[in-house]
Formats: sequence, structure tokens, C-alpha cells
Amino acid sequence: MEQLVQNLVLGLLLGGVYALAAGGLTLIFGVMRVINIAHGAFLILAAFITYSLWSGLGIDPLLAIVITTPVIFVVGWVTYKLFVAPIRTAPMASTVLLTFGLALVLEAVMGTIWGNNSTAIRPAYGNESFIVGDLFLPKAQVYGGLVAVLVLAVLWVVLTKTWLGRAIRASAVNPAGAELVGIKIGSVAALVFAIGIAAAGAGGAITGILYPFVPGAHYQWIARLLAIVVLGGMGSLNGAVLGAVLFGVAETMTAAYVSPSWATAVPYAIVFAVLLIRPQGLLGSRLREDAVPA
Amino acid sequence: MSQLSTRRGWKAAALGGALVLALAACGGGSSGDGDGGEQSSEPIKIGTSLPLTGEFSQPGQAAKEGYEVWQKMINDEGGLLGRQVELVVKDDASNQNTIVADYNALISQDKVDLLLGTFSSLLNLPASSVAERNQMLYVEPAGGSPEIFSRGYQYLFFAQQATADKQGKVFAEWVASLPEDQRPKTAAYPTLDDPFAGPVVDGIRAMLEPAGVETVYQETYAIDTKNFDTIVNAMKNADPDLVVNGAQFEDGIGMTRSMLKAGFTPDMFFQTNAPSFGDQFTEGIGEENTEGIIYAVSHSPEADTPGNAEFVKKYEEMFGTSAVPEDAADAFAAAQVLQAAVEAVGSIDDQQALADWLHANEVETILGPLSWDETGAPQGEFLIGQWQDGKAEIVLPEDAATAEIEAGWSPGGAG
Repeated sequence: MEQLVQNLVLGLLLGGVYALAAGGLTLIFGVMRVINIAHGAFLILAAFITYSLWSGLGIDPLLAIVITTPVIFVVGWVTYKLFVAPIRTAPMASTVLLTFGLALVLEAVMGTIWGNNSTAIRPAYGNESFIVGDLFLPKAQVYGGLVAVLVLAVLWVVLTKTWLGRAIRASAVNPAGAELVGIKIGSVAALVFAIGIAAAGAGGAITGILYPFVPGAHYQWIARLLAIVVLGGMGSLNGAVLGAVLFGVAETMTAAYVSPSWATAVPYAIVFAVLLIRPQGLLGSRLREDAVPA
Repeated sequence: MSQLSTRRGWKAAALGGALVLALAACGGGSSGDGDGGEQSSEPIKIGTSLPLTGEFSQPGQAAKEGYEVWQKMINDEGGLLGRQVELVVKDDASNQNTIVADYNALISQDKVDLLLGTFSSLLNLPASSVAERNQMLYVEPAGGSPEIFSRGYQYLFFAQQATADKQGKVFAEWVASLPEDQRPKTAAYPTLDDPFAGPVVDGIRAMLEPAGVETVYQETYAIDTKNFDTIVNAMKNADPDLVVNGAQFEDGIGMTRSMLKAGFTPDMFFQTNAPSFGDQFTEGIGEENTEGIIYAVSHSPEADTPGNAEFVKKYEEMFGTSAVPEDAADAFAAAQVLQAAVEAVGSIDDQQALADWLHANEVETILGPLSWDETGAPQGEFLIGQWQDGKAEIVLPEDAATAEIEAGWSPGGAG
């Protein structure tokens, strides 16, 4: 029983980190119908920037999020203006290709700047745990989970309580109508893209503390993140959080009670199973394909 | 419009490419009329594809350095058979498909004269098949998986002392020989799903179980495993005296850090690969946590094997550190093996002759003397290393040892 709780807690903490990374991806898709394959690469980029701030300037990597996230926000905004904006209304396949290309370019740029060696951010608490009774809660994971909750809460407030949020949702639901009432879809899209990337940036800072990384690690992340977003329902922020937590728990439970060799496969099997029953994902809504801007 | 201009661009590129090819053919025709036999002054082209990016970028980069040190040294001495050596290095991004394309391109497009192998068994498995099919000598600096030698290849040679299943042999023998009150009673064997790491761990387990060391945990994890907390938690509950972790680099670091987080510090800790990476290992887990970690290793910078001191000196000169990664040394040794065969045969035209010579002879390398059976598997024994006071020492076998083996793992960071 105690072991069950321990494994459950480890799974929830892992899910928190996944949620942080997946939130931005689902946001970008929800508003822009852009599947951002470069999302994992931005995550790793944030990890490298955090590493430089930590190793070069001695800034605590968790505090560094305050610097990393705005930097990544700007990178996201510029990326959008330069590369994504020109093909925003192109078919989805084009944006998938474009963002895949972006991921490759980012990987090469990171390799040039930081080298292709495995990098680890190790603050003093990186190897420590909170001990609660017989349970151990790795400190970095707990902090990461808290940051995830904070960032996701901010995202939620922005989306539901602010004018910007209404503009974002309006652009997603009915672009033509939004434009008619004076919303500049292009600007909103740029902001959404930048916010989504910034969320990945916060996630990257955390994952950099938790796991060693190389520029090429983005492939493993994008595979997980896409699965999480599809599981939760593409475009649904709540769905992404739910999907992430399920994914994290499934991974830990499989490793503990089946075998670690199945741990990275079983969550994907669950995604398949859910999609068979609910093709729109757990919290996704069925889209009218004919009404979706191509 | 832009599409049109792109298409025009392609046409131009294709035309340009054709022109270059035609010119090259002409040039080749005029200079190479003699058609073999006579000595060319052209450089000898040696091709390899290494995992310079992706999961195996650590060993890939190190191997590239090793090859470059060899190239520099041999060119400074007047070259191979009097010809300068030119390395053609491709990046396979740690991908099994890319490496096949790379070696095919090396042979058919770059028209290299000789091949050198790549890093990790995972990539050498497909790469050596390409070489064998093209009947080209393939000396690999890594790739000790028994699977590699089960295929009856004739052109394949592994330039380390022993195959993976025998890598931990010296360590296992030492554990089995400990007095009963010091010998671990239980052991855990978490292993990366990898054709190299798996057999090392299986080899050790196969020797320790008969010696009375009970197996209390044995699992394989996938290469994209990032989170080791659950595995570590399960091991912690099994409470083994000894942990033998079959790892490459990243997962080895992740596993060790997870063990520290969980406060799980077994009496004895053996890990493959990662601890042999010198500074990168200490940076990955923290120098204070390395104390006592044991690993198998092929090379020691301090060994008095012929040419080793010169190699270490040259490496330091070129890359600024005397902490030579093991994989750089392995790559250098592979090139030494190739060099020995070429110099003994006196020509690079007959790859079969090169392979025949290696099957029949022993080669002196910086790893010590190497010789091979008919499958290309080496016949020697590995060294066992241990981290002591932030320094990688050789502790077994005794005649090669630079320090006495310590029994325990005592990380400083764990509570």
C-alpha cells in the first residue's frame, strides 16, 4: 500500500512536469491549428539557457525561470513573425513540415553553441528529497510541480478572465467573426505562439534540472508531448493537464508493476485505446472539419 | 513565382553537379592512366560515420577526437604507406538507418579507400553489414555485443580486449573471491535495452549467481527512459548489497542521480560506460558522489603500453586535457589496428589480404596487444576502474592496477 502511494506520488510529480511542457503545445494548436513539432526543441533550448545562467552566472536554475521564460517568449514571437506567419493559413501539412524544419535548425544551433555533449544542471537540492513518513519526494520534482501549477494557473486566468483571452478564444472559434469585431488575428496568433513557446520554456528549465539533456533530446519530448495532447484532446488546456497526469502515472505504474521495459510503451497503448473510444481525446470537442479554417 | 525560381535553382544545381562530375571524371582519367600498381601521391581516404549528435554523441565526439589524433600523428610521420591520410567523417545522429546510408555513401560516393568503425554495438551492427557486403575491412573501436560476432563476418575486427559478455569478468571474479563476510549477498541488475550494456550485465550475473550472490532485482529499461525514480524505488525496496547497472551515458547519469535522490546508496555500485567519461561523468553526478563507483574500461592514460604516453601527450596538445576519454583511446587503437594491417600487407588494394593478416597476427596497441578469433572477437581481458578521490584509477587486474580497490560506494551528497 505504502509502495502504491509512493509510486502514485512519483507519477503525479512526473505528470506535473509533462503538463507544463504540453500546455503550450495544445494552446498553439487550439488557436492556430498549428502542430508545433519544434516544441520539444524550444524546451531543450530553454534548458540550455538555464544551464548557462546557472553554470556561468551562478543563478539558481529555478529562479532563472524568470529570465529564461521571457527570453524564450521573445524567441517564440520572432520565430512566429519570421517563419510561421507567412504560412499561417496554409494547409496543416505545411506547418508540420515547417516546424519540423525549425526543430532541426534549432538542434543544430544548440549543438553549435553548447556542443552535443550531455548536459546536466545540478543545484544542491537536485539530488535531495523531502522525506514524508516513509515516502520520498524528490525536491526538484516537487518544485517543478509547483511551478507547473503556477504557470498553468496563469495561462488559465489569461485565457478565461482577460480581454486577450477572449480575443484568443474568439480567434480560435470563429476567425472571420473575430476579425469583423476588430481583433487582429495576426497579432493574436503571434502572442499565442509566443506564450505557448514560453510555457515550454518554463518546462524546459524544470526538465533541465531533472534530467540530463542533449540537443537531440527534443525528439523524445515531442513524441511524448504530442501523445499527451492527443490523449487530452487537441486544443484543450484542461485536457492536456489531465493527459499529462495520466501519462505520468501510467509510466510510473508500468515501471513499478509490469516492467521498466514497458514503461515508455504502455502510455502510448493507453492513448490508442482512448482514441478508439473517444477519437476527440478525453476533453476535446468534436470539430466540424468543414468549419475549421484550413 | 517562387516555385518557378526554386525549380530553376534545382536545374542549375543539377547542371552544376553534372559539370563537376564530368570534370572530376576527366581529371581522374588523365592522372590515373597507369591504373593501379604504381604508388599514388593522392591522400588515402578513410571513411567513418559517428554519432556526433543524438543519444550517443558523448562517445561519438570522443571517437572523432581519437581518430583525429591518430591522423595527425601518422601524417606528421610521413603518412600511411607514404601517403597522407584524409578522414571523411559523417554524422549518423545515433540513428541505425542513417548509419547504413552513411556507410553506403562513403563507399559508393566518397569512394573511400578504407573504413573505420563507429560507436556502440547498436550502430556497429548495421554498419558492419554494409562493410561486409562490400568486402571492406571493418575495424570497430566499439561494438562488443556477442550478437556482432554471431554472424560469421570475415572483414570485422573489434579493437578492444574482450566482447561485452566478458567485460565484467575480472570484476565478477573479484567479487566472487571476496571472503564471505565481505561478499555482497544480494544484487540488483537494472539494464538499458542495448546490445552492448545487456550482455555485460548478464555476464556478471551469470558469474555471481553461482557464487551465491542472490539476484533480487533484474529489469531492462528502454532507451528513451528519462525518469528513473520508479526503478530506483523498486530497487530500494529490494535492498541489494550490490547494484550492477548496464548503462550508456545519459541513462547512467540519470540512474545515479535518482539513486541519490531516493537516498538509496548500496554498498557496492558497478556501472558500464558512463563512469569512463572522466570530467563529463563528474560533472553529470557531482565529483563528491563518484567515490567508489566501479566500472570496466579498456584504456588507462597511465598504462605503459607502447605509444600510450605519446598518444596521451598528443591528445592533450590537441584538446587541452590529459583526461583522455576511453572512447577516444579505443578509436585511436582501432586506427592503429588498421594501420598495422596496411603496413604489414604494404598495399590497400586487397581488403581480403588485410583481413587475413589480422586473423593471423597480434597487434600492439595503446590498449595492449590485441588478437582475434575467426569471427573478429578479441581474446583479451578488460581493466576494472574505480573512482577514488575524484580520480579514475585502475584497480584490477593487479598487474595493471594504479590503486587498491575499495569495497564501497560512498557518495558525499546523499543524506
